[in-house]
Amino acid sequence: SPAGIPRVPGEPSPSLCILADSREISSGPEVLSCLRAGHGLRVQVCSLGSSDYIVSNRLAVDRVLQSELQSPGNRNKLSQRLQRLQGIFERICVIVETDRVRPGETSRCFQRTQHYDGVLSALVQAGIRILFSSCQEETAALLKELALLEHRKDAAIQVPTEPEGHRRDILNFYLSIPSLSYGAALNLCHSFSSITAVANSSVPALAAGARLSRPQAEELHRFLRHDFDPQLLPQPLPAKGK
Amino acid sequence: PVTAGSIVVPLGHVVGNEKWRGSELAQRLQGKVRLIFEDGLGLVDFHLPNRTCILLISEADLVAGDEFKRRLVKFRNASSLRGIVIVEKTPISDQYYLGVQKLVVLELGMVLLPVANQGEASQLIIQLVSFCVREQGRERGSNPLAGRQRARPAEPAVLQALQRIPGVGRAKALLLLQRFGSIHGLCNADCQQLEQAVGQTVAQQIYTF
Repeated sequence: SPAGIPRVPGEPSPSLCILADSREISSGPEVLSCLRAGHGLRVQVCSLGSSDYIVSNRLAVDRVLQSELQSPGNRNKLSQRLQRLQGIFERICVIVETDRVRPGETSRCFQRTQHYDGVLSALVQAGIRILFSSCQEETAALLKELALLEHRKDAAIQVPTEPEGHRRDILNFYLSIPSLSYGAALNLCHSFSSITAVANSSVPALAAGARLSRPQAEELHRFLRHDFDPQLLPQPLPAKGK
Repeated sequence: PVTAGSIVVPLGHVVGNEKWRGSELAQRLQGKVRLIFEDGLGLVDFHLPNRTCILLISEADLVAGDEFKRRLVKFRNASSLRGIVIVEKTPISDQYYLGVQKLVVLELGMVLLPVANQGEASQLIIQLVSFCVREQGRERGSNPLAGRQRARPAEPAVLQALQRIPGVGRAKALLLLQRFGSIHGLCNADCQQLEQAVGQTVAQQIYTF
């Protein structure tokens, strides 16, 4: 069966699904093709913005090159990105991938810096899972393992990932809600008949329908009922009569 | 004996298993952290502050077979402490790395960090310890990679969301929010109330959306 999912007799074999950010088409083409061709996964490329991959309803994966962890120059970018992810996902995993050796270049010797060990310490302390990969093919294999594990824990993405027409507009509406992941937005589309149904739902109903943790569902509930105060907008309001 | 219980490690200290006395790793740690040796640490090589244990897997352990796996599983079953496995990943042991990573990270849910030799292991341990010290020194949550960003006002996001409705731009979105207060309020407005706010055509578009 595809991706090694144990087949239960009488049940249609599910196909594991991973969402990939569109930037990965250029930065990780072999990861994508290995996931599809080698492992038989359903890979949906979309504009995730937040992370490189979404592997389940709760797990986001970022691919980071080893060289990016070596120098302090990237510290802010990385920490902002991971902080944002922590607001959206219950679990985060970073795959540290060895840089590719370009043709003609002799294999560069990896000089481990203090900064590199410092970043690893910070990741460990923050409870972010770390995996190491030596190439894009290995990264794809790790993503598959993660997807399988999440599938066994009943957290796999199991809704259609390509809504069309009106549902596409509804999805775009949900995607504009901060702190809501692409997966959660898809789940809302699938589980609720309309935005009104979502807006009138209780916190437990939102948690169940969008497959969110309790605090995340509370945040969504707060957002939908947030009493708008124009004074809190960053820019001044446009002049009247325009 | 399976000893994997908690021991109190003062800040900036490392409690090391007696078997590491005199090793290259211990020599490199000394002077950078306060290293104390103790007997009977059992499965654990080093105890760090913050209820963290280090288990070291050498190149030789990897090549020798499955004994180290039994040790890790025993630790995982016996201890509630955070376990960090440091593994010597060398050209010789490289072929075993993926299998070890699958076991340690994916199956046992522990942390696995590769190093090239004992020198790198000592640098990594020093960073882990000094990170604990920095964390304790400053206010809690100073880890740049931990925790959420500060909450921002929801107003811009609410306004953005409404503009995803066909026919609604920034001006109409503002008008709607000033009249109905929230997304929840807008969703529960009837057609007539919407018409009073934005006119018949757009009201119909919003209603059907």
